[in-house]
Amino acid sequence: MEDKVYWKGLEELENTSKQNDKEFADELPVLGSIMEPITTQGSTSRRDFLKMLGFSTTAAVIAAGCEMPVRKSIPYAFKPEEVIPGIANYYASAFYQGGDYCAVVVKTREGRPIKIDGNNLSSVTKGGTSARVQASVLSLYDGARFKNPMKGKENITWEAADKEIGEKLKSISDAKGKIVIFSSSIASPSTLAAIAEFKSAYGAEHLVSDAISYSGILDANEKTFGTRAIPSYHFDKAKVIVGVGCDFLGTWVSPIEFAADWSKNRKVSKENRKMSRHIQIESALTMTGASADKRILVKPSEEATAVVDLYKAVSGGSSGNAKIDAVAKELVANKGASLVVSGSNDANVQMVVNAINEALESYGSTISFTSTYNTKAGSDKASAQLLDGLSSGEIKAVIFYNANPLLTDRNADKLADAIKKAALSVSFSERLDETTEAVQYVCPDSNWLESWNDVSPKTGVYNVCQPTITKLFDTRQAQETLLKWSGSKENYYDFIRAHWEKNVYPKQSKYSGFNALWDVTVHDGEVVIEGGSEAKFSASGVDSAASAVSAAYSNLGDTQLKLYESVAMGNGYWTDNPFLQELPDPITKVTWGNYVIVPISWRKKNKVTNDLELKDYTLVKVTANGKSVTLPAVAVPGVADGTFAICLGYGRKATNNDELKVGQNAYPLLALLGDNLSYVSKATVEVLSQTEKVAITQSHHNITLKDLGGVKKRKVVKETTLPEYVKDDAAGNEDRKEILEEMVTLYYEHEKNGHHWNMSVDLNSCIGCGACVTACNVENNVPVVGKDQVIRSREMHWLRIDRYFTYSEMIQDGTETLPGENIDVVFQPLMCQHCDNAPCENVCPVAATNHSSEGLNQMAYNRCIGTRYCANNCPYKVRRFNWYDYQGADAFDGKRVSKFWANEGLLSQTTKNQQESLSRMVLNPDVTVRSRGVIEKCSFCVQRIQEGKLTAKKENRPLKDGDIVTACQTACPTNAIIFGDKNDKASQVIIKVMDKRAFGVIEEIHTMPNVTYLTKVRNREESKA
Amino acid sequence: MHAYESDFREPLINGDKNYTIITDELVRPTEKTYRGWWLLLIIFGTLAGFFVFCLCWTVFYGIGVWGLNKTVDWAWDITNFVWWIGIGHAGTLISAILLLFRQRFRTGINRAAEAMTIFAVICAGMFPVFHMGRVWDAFFIFPYPNTRGPLWLNFNSPLLWDVFAISTYFTVSLLFWYSGLMPDFATIRDRAKGKYRKMIYNTLSFGWTGTAKQWQRFESLSLILAGLSTPLVLSVHTIVSFDFATSVIPGWHTTIFPPYFVAGAIFSGFAMVETLMLIVRKVFHLEDYITINHIESMNKIIVLTGSIVGIAYITELFIAWYSGFLYEQFAFYNRALGKYWWAYTMMMSCNVLSPQLYWFKPFRRNLYITFILSIFVNIGMWFERFVIIVTSLADDYLPSSWAYFQPTWVDVGIFVGSIGLFMTLFLLFARFFPVIAIAEVKAIFRISSATAKAERAKAAGTANGGFVGHTTFGILDKDAK
Repeated sequence: MEDKVYWKGLEELENTSKQNDKEFADELPVLGSIMEPITTQGSTSRRDFLKMLGFSTTAAVIAAGCEMPVRKSIPYAFKPEEVIPGIANYYASAFYQGGDYCAVVVKTREGRPIKIDGNNLSSVTKGGTSARVQASVLSLYDGARFKNPMKGKENITWEAADKEIGEKLKSISDAKGKIVIFSSSIASPSTLAAIAEFKSAYGAEHLVSDAISYSGILDANEKTFGTRAIPSYHFDKAKVIVGVGCDFLGTWVSPIEFAADWSKNRKVSKENRKMSRHIQIESALTMTGASADKRILVKPSEEATAVVDLYKAVSGGSSGNAKIDAVAKELVANKGASLVVSGSNDANVQMVVNAINEALESYGSTISFTSTYNTKAGSDKASAQLLDGLSSGEIKAVIFYNANPLLTDRNADKLADAIKKAALSVSFSERLDETTEAVQYVCPDSNWLESWNDVSPKTGVYNVCQPTITKLFDTRQAQETLLKWSGSKENYYDFIRAHWEKNVYPKQSKYSGFNALWDVTVHDGEVVIEGGSEAKFSASGVDSAASAVSAAYSNLGDTQLKLYESVAMGNGYWTDNPFLQELPDPITKVTWGNYVIVPISWRKKNKVTNDLELKDYTLVKVTANGKSVTLPAVAVPGVADGTFAICLGYGRKATNNDELKVGQNAYPLLALLGDNLSYVSKATVEVLSQTEKVAITQSHHNITLKDLGGVKKRKVVKETTLPEYVKDDAAGNEDRKEILEEMVTLYYEHEKNGHHWNMSVDLNSCIGCGACVTACNVENNVPVVGKDQVIRSREMHWLRIDRYFTYSEMIQDGTETLPGENIDVVFQPLMCQHCDNAPCENVCPVAATNHSSEGLNQMAYNRCIGTRYCANNCPYKVRRFNWYDYQGADAFDGKRVSKFWANEGLLSQTTKNQQESLSRMVLNPDVTVRSRGVIEKCSFCVQRIQEGKLTAKKENRPLKDGDIVTACQTACPTNAIIFGDKNDKASQVIIKVMDKRAFGVIEEIHTMPNVTYLTKVRNREESKA
Repeated sequence: MHAYESDFREPLINGDKNYTIITDELVRPTEKTYRGWWLLLIIFGTLAGFFVFCLCWTVFYGIGVWGLNKTVDWAWDITNFVWWIGIGHAGTLISAILLLFRQRFRTGINRAAEAMTIFAVICAGMFPVFHMGRVWDAFFIFPYPNTRGPLWLNFNSPLLWDVFAISTYFTVSLLFWYSGLMPDFATIRDRAKGKYRKMIYNTLSFGWTGTAKQWQRFESLSLILAGLSTPLVLSVHTIVSFDFATSVIPGWHTTIFPPYFVAGAIFSGFAMVETLMLIVRKVFHLEDYITINHIESMNKIIVLTGSIVGIAYITELFIAWYSGFLYEQFAFYNRALGKYWWAYTMMMSCNVLSPQLYWFKPFRRNLYITFILSIFVNIGMWFERFVIIVTSLADDYLPSSWAYFQPTWVDVGIFVGSIGLFMTLFLLFARFFPVIAIAEVKAIFRISSATAKAERAKAAGTANGGFVGHTTFGILDKDAK
């Protein structure tokens, strides 16, 4: 019988159709070999037939014999408007938690917020975020949140709570008893209005105190400018920036905004070979100091006196300190384009700083009072007032809102007793904390992601926060509670609108009709109302302040304690957040707990153990102001002699999870200097004989190896100085030409015709803040493993920030060479490099990791059998293995196994909490939750790549540069990370890749990484205006 | 096989023997339980049980119960794997290469050595399987037909080569060992008293009757298998060494690895044979069949291979210096003087220094020194693999990721337990199977036994006017009486 040909179209008949029209581009080779006789010759031998029959029958029998799991899914019976399963919705909102502000866009999937990105429309944070912002979404799904109001340890209803508390409030106010709301700074105008309603209803008083105090700078501004507010700082307008003990990139006032501004003048390119000069005068090494061009090491007390010296030098005199004089010279030379900031909480120091900035003509240029911060308004007197009032019995009722003084007050022990005397004590806290544990009633606030609110971070800038999920528990917004107790029937949403209509709408003229303004603000997240005026500087009191500073800090001795806020933990508000607990500190790379930072010289002298391998650290007892803490001593380079630094916020006592109680509370060690808290004090340090394990993710290894005879440098990070760069834009990267020339191979290179994904990281912009690390964790469902596992070096981060110190031989700063002081730091975010010649790929026996045609090194988790050969063969060590079932994704019944785990203690409580259904709500449904026994790693956010491609396809257009942004890229406040298609000749990334500064990490081993880094350039030139 | 052997050569079978005595003495261990056997079985059986327990623990909870971390993803698991594979080398070498080279001293030790190979490969095979994160998917590494379309094995991966190398090696070794056992099973059967015993050994011998045709086929099979397995001796450890040599990690990426690993494997294999044979010889009273001559021959191989390994270590250091490649230089600097210096010191002293004693004849022929050194060598060889694997991984390219490996009780339990498993299998083998190849020993009886030599000397002495070449064997004296 002759073979007849059938066709379905002319293309097929004429064979003009191209292969890439098919859904799958590849032939299926296995089927090809078996089916070959059928497909090519149209006949099958009897043997082949029997083979296939036998195999398929057996396979069918085996498959039919296995019990298939029943998976249940519930469709929307009534589909909510806007919600399309599988499609994310984005809502503009504003984050103001624990004293930090950020304008955000909340990503929700099927009604669940799962990711928080920066709002690019924001005039303040400009699309940047911080690790805290990124991690905050996890706190929404925290099982430790209160599920309903409580009276003592009893659950009560809101009706009962309202009735009992209302009656007590009434009787207290009738008896002319004092009622106090104690809170941290409130940046929400409507909340303040609600508090005002409450105040007027009961004659109550509102005390505002911030755990990390800005009282000093506020008082100073009140004295010198007559306004108790922190002005706007414009780091982008400054050519010379001097930070004195001020971590403005990490923690000070508005770090996301400052980092964004600061980085603008740090981006050098072939066309723009200029950058700002950043000098940092500090005692302990801060994240900001690590990014400075020059550091001057001083003792903590000298951070204050240096300001006075600088003032003398800037005013034309001499300070007697050559280093300070040199700084002053640079500042004066850049009058009008220079900026001095100090992190001190001493009003006198800040007055002198104001005088310096006035002398430098900074006001009106780099500093501006036209818009001042509402986020910092606390007074250190408030906590004393509370303690006195409660102790004397004057304050009969106290309501705590966004404040946890029993952790953060230096007199917390006294306050704990005093609170018991109050006739009524209420906390609005979302979850258990030290203060909440001590009060009579808990009226839990809703999470910010569940609530309507407004935030005005700075005067003239207004944000609306909108709820992105229905309330998970029987909680009620604090504002609504206050309104209710004040007798108002209005709900808070209407209250906000009414407040805006009355107070915000009239101030602007752009929108006609309140609804227009409101809708735009809700949509964009922000409305800015110009206005405000500069304040007038008054020099009176500056001289006496200067002499007061000299007197106060002259005798603090040789051993001084500096207390500071950590980049991850804030004032302690974030200790409940496992992502932040596990975020390595930018400088020390320590997770889970605090420690004493000690100078290296002191460690050597005292023979203190700093075991890099076993992570054992000697405990030291630090005593200051009559209180002491015992913590492990971690030596850090670039710390001034006699400086001992401890970060605040750890040492929680009241949380549901014992693992969060790591570290020691250092707040009691705070001193009081005048009216304000002092973070610097005289101390004694005693070395104990015990050691403690510290969960450190990276030890102090050096990338230069002197031991091998001469200094040889690993080609991991590259840097140069600005004068060198001005001369040659390949400075510091000269060897790359040779490396690229030597990159020859016998093998043919794979063609990358479509997209070729690339990433560029600017080492000059990276400040090491860890926002990208946390963003990656949230986006990619990266598990938290707990302290014990981190001690075992098993953190799962797909993206880590490597921190390297370099020593004086790298430094050419005029004639100065000061060993120990001239510590340079490089931060290098390191994720999977997606090598085009990836060592991991060829060693996997089952091809579970392989290369996509778009240059991605991809993981098929289903296929992975966990030999870990890829992880061994990865020169960048970015692959992570699931040692345990961290997220309850296992093939086995997770719950049953977990019960055993609870007994065995193999998994931390925090990790087990992640397996609860509530915590799992935060998981990104687009990213596979990995089971135990498989390798995982950075995917270049392949889910975002796919989504971007799909969107472009649906819109029938080519993919544009910028359509796809990775999670780390969106999180970065300084735009250090650029992602894009190398084959798109108009893309941003190709400009970076072709830059002479671009280099790949250890690319001489021919891995051909798709991540390139831009050389770090340090502005070592003495800036001449 | 009745080749001439000089009377000046030491006999390989001592004592006054004939075929009956040989049969008696060699079959006896399978017919009665010696004292000490039970004790050893209980000790090692318990350890084997603990091995199973530790593996269950690992599979149940995850690889996290081991001491591995994000940087050191292989440690004791692959160390043990390579160590056991190395030990398994002596068997094939003795049975195949020595057979082809007609080294008669192999007959006294080949059976036990082959058994050791089988058991060592069984132990070795446990590690690549159980080091997998998802051991239940271990079948993915086999090229079985599936419906997953283009999903297929990665033939570039040395781990896959391992799968084929080891399974081939195991199969051929097993065949070799078993085919050699068949005539001896028949011998045991022929002496068996009980009905079931007879039946079982008959089954095991595949109905061997000892006809000329069977012997002829047996000899051919031996030669074919010897021919097949000779390349395997070189290939298996070569391929195992590719696991490291084909990677990019400094300290692993080394072309010297194949010969270096093969020499090391023979080295450790012979040491393990010695450890076992010295015990077997004592427990089963087989001093006449496993003679000092055998021991000395093996010690010569140990000093040779130990020295090869030593040269390899020094070559590595030289090449690291000579390469001018920073990472390689650091890897070796770190290996010798870094945080794992103690492991390197153990390796160097046990593997390179201690076998040098064997240049001296008194040490080669001293049983106590041999026993201690055989254990030293295996300790050293374990550390060699540990040094290669762990020190290279712990500190590779990026200092930010450097980490330290510390074993947990499960790591230790699995290693010690695998020794328990090995010894349990060996003890069972020694109790039920003939530990010395009866037929092969008989085959050299006429050539290389003290009895035959004495008889030849006597005959020659009569012919040569009473001159006797050798009188040290004690047999002539006995005859004189």
